[in-house]
Amino acid sequence: MNDYLALANSKTIYLIVATILLFVCVFCFTFIVRSYRAGIKMGMEKTLLKKAVTSSATFTAIPSISILLGVLALGGNLGVPLAWLRLSVIGNLQYEATVAQIAAQGIGKTLDSALLSMDDLVTILLVMTVGIIWGCLLTIFTLKQYTKKLSHKSIQNKKTNRPSFAGIAMVAMFIGLCAAFLGNYVANFIVNGVSIPVLTALVSAFVMAIFEYLIKKKNFKVLESFSLALSMIIAMVSTVFFSMVM
Amino acid sequence: MKDTNFDYDKYIEDTHKYGRFFLSVGVLALLGAPFLIASLTNAHINFPAFVTAVSKVLLIYIPSCIAEYLIYVPLLGIGGVYLSFLTGNLTNLKLPCAFSSRELAKTTAGTPEDEIVMTLAIATSALTTMLVIALGVLMIVPLTPILQNPVIKPAFDNVLPALFGALGYQYFIKDLKLSTFAMVSMVLIGIGFPFLIGDTGTMIIVIGALSIGAAYLLFRHKNKEIK
Repeated sequence: MNDYLALANSKTIYLIVATILLFVCVFCFTFIVRSYRAGIKMGMEKTLLKKAVTSSATFTAIPSISILLGVLALGGNLGVPLAWLRLSVIGNLQYEATVAQIAAQGIGKTLDSALLSMDDLVTILLVMTVGIIWGCLLTIFTLKQYTKKLSHKSIQNKKTNRPSFAGIAMVAMFIGLCAAFLGNYVANFIVNGVSIPVLTALVSAFVMAIFEYLIKKKNFKVLESFSLALSMIIAMVSTVFFSMVM
Repeated sequence: MKDTNFDYDKYIEDTHKYGRFFLSVGVLALLGAPFLIASLTNAHINFPAFVTAVSKVLLIYIPSCIAEYLIYVPLLGIGGVYLSFLTGNLTNLKLPCAFSSRELAKTTAGTPEDEIVMTLAIATSALTTMLVIALGVLMIVPLTPILQNPVIKPAFDNVLPALFGALGYQYFIKDLKLSTFAMVSMVLIGIGFPFLIGDTGTMIIVIGALSIGAAYLLFRHKNKEIK
C-alpha cells in the first residue's frame, strides 16, 4: 500500500468518520423513538408502527448491499473510511463517483490512488460535500415556512370543498419516478441493445404481480412486508442466470 | 389507546427544532471533516482547484438540489425530510421505501398518521443502510472477493431494475393511462436524445413533471365531467 492509501485508510480517519456516523445514528434513533411514541399517543396500532419499521428494514437491506459495492469501488481511490462516509450521508453513488472525478480533474489529476495525495483527498472531499449540501441548507432555513404554506393550501382546499389534487400528484410523481428508471432501461435496450436491466425489471414485476395476487386474492397477509424484498431477490438471482446465458 | 392530551402541533414544532439541530450539526461536521483531516494529516486544501471544481459541480447540481427539495418535501413528511436530506440516497432508496411503507400502512400523505409512518420508515431505512455498510466495512477483506465475484456481480449491478420493476408494477396498475404516457415519454426521450440515457437524476424531474402535468389535466377533465 502506498503512503497515500495508508493515510487515507488510517485509524484517525476511521475514527472521524465513525463519530460523524454515530451522530447520524443518534439522529435516526431519536426520530424513531419520538415518532413511535407520538403514534401510540395518537391512537395508532402498535402492530402498524412495528410493521412500518420491519418493512422498511427488509426493503432497504438488499439495495444497501449495492451501496456497499459503491464503498468498495470508491474506497480503492478515496480510502475506505471516506467512501463509507460519503455513501452513508447525503448524495448517492452516481453523484459521489461523478463529483469525485470532476474534483480530481479540477486538481489536474484523475481519480487514481497511484496519482493522488492527501492534499488532493481533502480537496476532493470538500468539493463532494459543498456540492451536495444545498438540500440540507434549504431544509434548515426554509422547511418550516414551506410546509406551513403547503398545509395552508390543503386547508383552503378542504374549506372550499375542492377535491384535492395532492394525493393524485403524489401517485403521478411516483409513476414518473418509476417510468424514468424503467423507460430508461427500455430505451437503453432499443438504442444500445443492453437487455439485462429490462429482463431483471420484468422478472421483478412479474414476481410482484404473483405476490400481489396471493396477498389480495388468497389473503396471504404475511407476504405483505416481504413481497418487495423477495421480488428483488428472485429478480437478482435471475440476473445472474441471464448474464451467464447471454 | 389515544392520549387526548397529545398535541400534534407541538410534536411538529419539536420535530422542526430537533431536525434543525441535528441537520445543522451534521452539516457542520461534514463541512468540518476535510479541514480536520487536513490538520491531522498535515495536508492542505487546494483552494484554487476547489473553486474550479466546485463551480462546475454547483452549476450541475444546484438546480437539481432545489427541484428535489421542492418536489420531495410534500412527499416525505416533515420528519422524513430532515432525515432524508442528511442521510441521502433519496430517489433510489428513501423515496421508494417511504412510498412502500405508506402503501402498507394505508395512510394518506399530509395526515398526522402518514407523518409518523414516513418518519419511522425513513429513519429505519437510513439506519439499515448504515448498518449494512458498517458491517461490510468491518468484513471488507472476506467480503470483497464475494461481492466482486464476476458471477454474482451482475446481480448487484442490477439492484435498481429489480427494485423499480416491482415498485413499477405496484404503481402502474393504479393508473394505466398515466403510466403508459410516462413510460412512452421516457422511451421516446431516450431514443431521441441517447445522451440522456443513464442520466436518471435529470429524467426523474422531467418525467415526474410531465406525469404531474398529465395527471392534472386528467383530474380537471374528470372534475368537469362530474360538474
